Amino acid sequence: MGLRSTLAGCATHRVHVLVLEVPGWGETRMRVEAELARRGWTSATSPADADVLLVCGKPGEELESACARLWSQLPGPRVRAAVITASDVASTLERAMDELLDDARHHSDARTRSRQPAKPRDETAHTEHAAPGDSVESTEHDVDMAMDMDVDMDMDMDMDMDMPMPGGIPLASGGPDRDGLEMDVLHVPLGPVLPHWPAGLVVRCVLQGDVIVSAQAEILPAAAQPIGDGLVAGDSGRSVDDKRRLAVIRRSDAAASVLALAGWSFAAGRARRIRDAVASGTALLGVAADLDKLAQSVGRSWTLRWTLKGITVGDTLAQAENGMGQSGSETVRGRLIGWLDEARRTARDDKAEGAYELQDPLALQRSLLSEIPRLLNGTDIATARLIIAALEIETAPVTQTPQSRI
Amino acid sequence: MIDIIEVNPVWALFAPVALGVLALAGAALNGILVSRAERRSFRSGAAIPVFEIARLMRQRRRTTVAADVLLWRIGCAGLVVVAVLKTAVIPVGPWVLADIPVGVVWFNTMDVLVWALVWLIGWGANSAHSLVGGYRFLAQAVSYELPLMFALVTPAVAAHSLRVSDVVAAQQELWFVIWMPIAFVVFCMSVVAFSNWGPFATAASGDIAGGILTEVSGVDRLLILAGRYALLTTGAAFAVVLFFGGGAGPLLPSWLWTLVKTLLLLAAFVALRHRMPAVRPERLAEVAWIIVLPAVLLQTLAVSIVVAVRG
Repeated sequence: MGLRSTLAGCATHRVHVLVLEVPGWGETRMRVEAELARRGWTSATSPADADVLLVCGKPGEELESACARLWSQLPGPRVRAAVITASDVASTLERAMDELLDDARHHSDARTRSRQPAKPRDETAHTEHAAPGDSVESTEHDVDMAMDMDVDMDMDMDMDMDMPMPGGIPLASGGPDRDGLEMDVLHVPLGPVLPHWPAGLVVRCVLQGDVIVSAQAEILPAAAQPIGDGLVAGDSGRSVDDKRRLAVIRRSDAAASVLALAGWSFAAGRARRIRDAVASGTALLGVAADLDKLAQSVGRSWTLRWTLKGITVGDTLAQAENGMGQSGSETVRGRLIGWLDEARRTARDDKAEGAYELQDPLALQRSLLSEIPRLLNGTDIATARLIIAALEIETAPVTQTPQSRI
Repeated sequence: MIDIIEVNPVWALFAPVALGVLALAGAALNGILVSRAERRSFRSGAAIPVFEIARLMRQRRRTTVAADVLLWRIGCAGLVVVAVLKTAVIPVGPWVLADIPVGVVWFNTMDVLVWALVWLIGWGANSAHSLVGGYRFLAQAVSYELPLMFALVTPAVAAHSLRVSDVVAAQQELWFVIWMPIAFVVFCMSVVAFSNWGPFATAASGDIAGGILTEVSGVDRLLILAGRYALLTTGAAFAVVLFFGGGAGPLLPSWLWTLVKTLLLLAAFVALRHRMPAVRPERLAEVAWIIVLPAVLLQTLAVSIVVAVRG
């Protein structure tokens, strides 16, 4: 067994963790990312890439079934773990690693699980579109069709079978695209689990190629609200210093997402390390120099300017944030540079105290969500991802009110 | 003057091993750069490829609903095969496996195969994100392929031959990189692009959940990732042959010079990933067709005129 255990030992030096963030548990997710970096592990981009499925927070019903579906897509050896408070992150990951090493357990897991990939018409029909690694056909609409067809086939084999149905799924139908040609129409949901994606958000897209023809946004809520044990949850009764820290953490987290989506993983890593340093208690002045350097290299990069050219996030933000000195920066690049500037000014405390208060988060977040269909229409996925990251949607306040659907 | 000779075909067994070692060195350098940025130790970074190989060997393969399994697996395994086939015409010092009269074309044929293979990986999984990854690669390939072809042709024009050994011999007095720098830069960018690496890795990027890699796990994923590094390595080795005089150099034996130059160029390719953001295919198309293609054509024209005048 020497070879097998050596292999397992090596493999667990670099575990890939798929993180499912429940709205409201942003702080836990950030702690997870920091801990992954410390251990030399990495975040998984899709279920196929993951060894560990880590749920941050208490998922609601829909997120829970999305989670079950993701779990069925992990290739194995696989470990499922959940973490509720940020202080448990390190011990949870440690336990996950021990479980990954347990060969007997994975043997029995492999024997008991189905060899076939979960079909889009099993009982979790409502959420199969939840997973990022979903197959093309698994959309709500098509799923319903597949179910009906299947029933029909059982009862009546004479039904019209002109159309081939690989895997029991009808083929995509065509439709005129933006150039007036006919192109396949795919119903593809983005979210709720994608790298650098707002927690719990699902954008149901109709795609032609990689161009979004129409989109609808919704947020899958948490089962409970996080207990306010950290910086992100709850806003009352905190010191000015805490507020400044929170502002820097949020801004650098948002910047890390946009930079990662722009494909600049190293700048994203720098933003993330600044965020983690502040979250772990480093003095704000201590990260100010790093923030300056990052802001400088982001501002100077002509490739970034070129690749983000012309991508805008509409006027909702400018209207909502007029008081925050950000008006006019409506492009994604402008937002990014604005965040970094704000973060470095906040770190140096050049601003008046009240400036980093959030302005009516709920109304702003709602208006951002309602803007998504309009903003995404006609964009390709890469642009859409940048736009959504630049909106910096906070999903938690929206789901914590009774009416969570938009 | 190096006389390039064909070696016994038995050495073909050794070529994949050498390619594997060089590719692993590239992957280790990438790991070192990643872990240095994360402030972790040098050693843990250099070992990342080993850990990843162990992890993927231990992981199960998976399939998806109604996947086109045959084509999918062909795509996954194909990248490594293409890279190994490329080594056949790349001389290491004085030795080459096959000094065919159309060696330069052979290299180009192999990288055109990458179009099909990456598309098959994207197509086979029957998954929207994979498919988008496939689209992105084809869009990118339309931009890099023509400039790449002219960049390959330019040294061949100067050498009056498509035979790789003639191209090396023609650089006896002056390395081609010195008087055809545009062709060299375009060739290098194209190598990075067909290896789906760094700024040109949009087909496998995180914004589409890994794109062509979304649904791939276990040994299939290992083959794709290894194929990427192998393509990068053979690309660097061929650039050495085309532009840096192959094994030419003082003191060291010529085979060692080939390896040293290849490793240096490979390191530059790997490091490029950490320097700049992704170049989106639609932005690349504009630049590739309006600026790069005319520039490399002018380069070919200039070289042709020089060759014609000198007779």
